[in-house]
Amino acid sequence: MNFLSLAATADSAKVHLTSQTRIVAAVLALLFMLLILDLIRRDRLQERYSVIWFVAGLGMLVGAAFPGILEFVADLMGVRDTNVALFSIVLLLLLGLALNFSVIMSRQAAQITRLAQERAIEQARAQAAEGRNGNGAPTADVRTGEHRRT
Amino acid sequence: MRTLVFIPAWNEEASVAEVIADVGKTLPAADVLVVDDGSGDATGARAREAGALVATLPFNQGLGAALQTGYLYALREGYDFCAHLDADGQHPPAEVVRLLAEVESDRADLVIGSRFHEGAGEAESDDYRATLSRRIGISVFRFFLTLATRQRFTDTTSGMRAANRRVMQLFSENYSPDFAEIESLQLAVREGLRVEEVPVRMLERAGGSSFLTPVRSAFFIFKGVVVLLVGQFRPRHAGGEG
Repeated sequence: MNFLSLAATADSAKVHLTSQTRIVAAVLALLFMLLILDLIRRDRLQERYSVIWFVAGLGMLVGAAFPGILEFVADLMGVRDTNVALFSIVLLLLLGLALNFSVIMSRQAAQITRLAQERAIEQARAQAAEGRNGNGAPTADVRTGEHRRT
Repeated sequence: MRTLVFIPAWNEEASVAEVIADVGKTLPAADVLVVDDGSGDATGARAREAGALVATLPFNQGLGAALQTGYLYALREGYDFCAHLDADGQHPPAEVVRLLAEVESDRADLVIGSRFHEGAGEAESDDYRATLSRRIGISVFRFFLTLATRQRFTDTTSGMRAANRRVMQLFSENYSPDFAEIESLQLAVREGLRVEEVPVRMLERAGGSSFLTPVRSAFFIFKGVVVLLVGQFRPRHAGGEG
């Protein structure tokens, strides 16, 4: 009896998404996906980086259309308030996205460094060739300590 | 047998020409390359006037990227050996000759010039006085690097080194841009290269000032320890073949 009443209060304390929340979420998800489409159309966002955002937008839409899924996930997490579950999921997704961007950024930083190095090496190589073809090797100048451009 | 001596330089217009002239006198057969790490001053021009080759990075990339540029150039241009020293005049080129002798006689793949090595005659010598925060940093790194590599290193942040082609190959592909000196030692030992320290004499800085303030060096030390820890879990490469 004690157990039954406890279960009943737990169930009644559950907080569900209101239909108002669901409509707002669906509209926002649609607007969000339209924005992404527009960014791609105007070449402000590359397709390969847009996929993940489309998936996020679709997820929002699905969550709004079938609140049962969210409530199921909330139960799995042991959270009584579906809104809290929603917040947690979104937060985790954003964390994952931020990490993803850090990875991309690191790769691009490495690429930029290599590009700069290639350019610097090319420049030194040209200078070395110029020294060989022109008035004596640059090493000869180092030896005598004389200035090369006089 | 061709040798390249390269000098990473960032805003060192006051001292770079003198260092180049010194290297030219001490190592007349070697080519000298200055890696200008996006200097805002006339470092590149001074170096060119002094007769060195200059590789200019279009923007400041940090010491690691500058050193890697030197190793990459040495590798691509087919040098047999390379050495590098700082542009601020702390490193006497005569000592670089001794480092190069070690790699030339194939006693080691990578040789580090150490200020503190026992048998340096004057360990912690009168020529070189380190600040307190720097001394703390040096001993922390010494401890962790020894732990990580199971090899004794005394001067982990030394910027005076000599290397052969095996090292050029490794460092031109894998060189941490942030933590050049320490991580490179860990990497070289992990890849099975012979790393050796040679006691050297170093001088006070001729120009510029050290970038380390106490807060910065605390952060520097923290970062270094994290980098070493992560480095222990890096996958090994096939490298080490010459």
